[in-house]
Amino acid sequence: MSLLEIKNAKLKLDDKDILKGLSLSVSKGEVHAIMGPNGSGKSTLSYMLAGRDGYELESGEVFLEGQSLSDMEADERARSGLFLAFQYPVELPGVGGMSFLREAVNSRRKFLGEEELDHLAFVKEARKVASKMFVKDEMLKRAVNVGFSGGEKKRFEILQMAMLKPKVSILDETDSGLDVDALKIVSDGVNAQRNDDNAIVVITHYQRLLDYIVPDFVHILSDGSIIKSGGPELALEVEKNGYAGLINAA
Amino acid sequence: MLHNVRDNYIISVKDHVSQFEEKSFRKLASNDFKSWPSPREETWRLSRLGVLSRKEMTPIKPNFKKQVSSVSKFKDSKIIRFVDGALREDLSSKLPPGSSLNILGEQDSLICFHKFKDSNLKNHPSTNVSFSCTPSIVKLTIEKDVKIRDLFEIIYEGGDNNLSVHPALYIELKDNSSITIIERFNHLSSLIMPLQLVELKKNASMNSLKIFNDNQQSYNLSVNCTFLSENSNYNSFSLIKGGLFTRSETHAYLKGENCNLNLNGVYLSSKNQHHDLTTAIYHDVPNCTSKQIVRGVLGGKATGVFQGKVRVAPDAQKTDGQQMSRAILLSENAIANAKPELEIYADDVICAHGATVGEIDDEQLFYLKSRGISEKNAKQILITAFLRDIINESVEKSIQNFVFEEAELALSEIISKEI
Repeated sequence: MSLLEIKNAKLKLDDKDILKGLSLSVSKGEVHAIMGPNGSGKSTLSYMLAGRDGYELESGEVFLEGQSLSDMEADERARSGLFLAFQYPVELPGVGGMSFLREAVNSRRKFLGEEELDHLAFVKEARKVASKMFVKDEMLKRAVNVGFSGGEKKRFEILQMAMLKPKVSILDETDSGLDVDALKIVSDGVNAQRNDDNAIVVITHYQRLLDYIVPDFVHILSDGSIIKSGGPELALEVEKNGYAGLINAA
Repeated sequence: MLHNVRDNYIISVKDHVSQFEEKSFRKLASNDFKSWPSPREETWRLSRLGVLSRKEMTPIKPNFKKQVSSVSKFKDSKIIRFVDGALREDLSSKLPPGSSLNILGEQDSLICFHKFKDSNLKNHPSTNVSFSCTPSIVKLTIEKDVKIRDLFEIIYEGGDNNLSVHPALYIELKDNSSITIIERFNHLSSLIMPLQLVELKKNASMNSLKIFNDNQQSYNLSVNCTFLSENSNYNSFSLIKGGLFTRSETHAYLKGENCNLNLNGVYLSSKNQHHDLTTAIYHDVPNCTSKQIVRGVLGGKATGVFQGKVRVAPDAQKTDGQQMSRAILLSENAIANAKPELEIYADDVICAHGATVGEIDDEQLFYLKSRGISEKNAKQILITAFLRDIINESVEKSIQNFVFEEAELALSEIISKEI
């Protein structure tokens, strides 16, 4: 059974067709890359999966481990094991990083029937994970994403991913706004979490990120549907010839 | 002015004053109290006193034996108590050296009265009525060069149905002195009209925290008039959560160069409460800064008002005046009004203002939910942060947690009904 199954997803925004019958199947242990030009529907896809209000499917369906997501709110989807790393992580003035993480982790633990972590145990765990991600203690004391650099924001996203241990992670343009060093740190963080039980969907513009997070499958998204799928070599083809050639051929 | 049922209170104020014939300022003030402000007056348009003017009410005669019910919230604070608007020395702490509390005599009361009258508050109902009816004007003086380390806690309580209460406090900080004062309004009365004059002399510095938590049926029309001299600092924060109708008005006059003023506040309103933060800041000289941050959270059928006026005189070059108000509405029937007013007559100034009224930010809510946090918890986290943020920014560190806890009590009541 697939971990994530998207079946013929159609979605409109402001009466405009954005997703036009998108299908995708992601199994355990796999990393999929979805590449596409501007306006192809990449961010819409990630918001739709995460359950943002206003991004409900018109038709088609999405399953997480066989369970339909259509009646689930964003928070339920997250607790069930879906994670979205935001392209533009949102600033939360006045919300401390540590208490935010704890609330999130305990919500997921509660759902899984695990005991909630007390403050001390949690801080210890968070610090351990954070140090691997080169996230300084000081950053966890600050308000979430407030005054963070581009690199810090993305590191904090991946730190959340590591703490929440999701089944399926959607990384929406995680490479945007990152320099090479930051890209490497973030990618290492993601790679450390790859295992046989979870899956990662990397949504990106450029091939660059895929040098660091090497996918098993690459899909080309154009005008709301996947027009071509293949192995990592497909990403290199995009790099070489651009999207235009692929789109024209399709 | 026609004498009809609406003037009952005016007549009782005059009756009350006739008992104190010897004090001329009372007579002067009561002569000036001719009517309640009409909603046609710009500063009362958003906060109407119509209901109040139809209430049966008389000024209170203080009971000097009345027991108090509000306990101190701090371990080592110096407490000053006002009951029924009168200073209760028997229930107040002995003040530390360099500070003193006096009841003003005829002459000094008149001086205080004229200071108010020379400001733009001369026709203010609270000014007129409270000068007419206050048991006495109390003066707190901090001597030159004295930095008060103890926290001063002023607790106002007392009052009763259909009675009005009139505490009057004059605070003078002499050169180079400093103090932190917490004022808590916990009246049972129908109408409370606290009057306050603050004078900060050169280099003086005052942190002021006011918590308005009067009985849910009461009206509080509080007025503060502050004069700042050269290099002085006035840092004020008002938390409005009680009363049926609470209006905290601050009028600040920046009279000396390089002074710094912060007038911040939060209102937390539910049911049919009406809360109003009104400020007027007069930049009369160059090189001063003023900043106002106001936030409100409203539920039920509550109304919140922020009106902030900043006037920069032609000579007041290099003024930096900032004003920002934000309100979150948790119910469809709640109303928030924001009215910034900038009157700038100088050309080399930085002045900015902004006001937003709305619901909880969608993006923030989605971000929290996408981490598995339920909508209810997410909203609670965001609203709490909305308050934590302004409290951390504008309240002195040692009392931040106290203010936050006070705010949280009212907030949880609003949230429990709306979310």
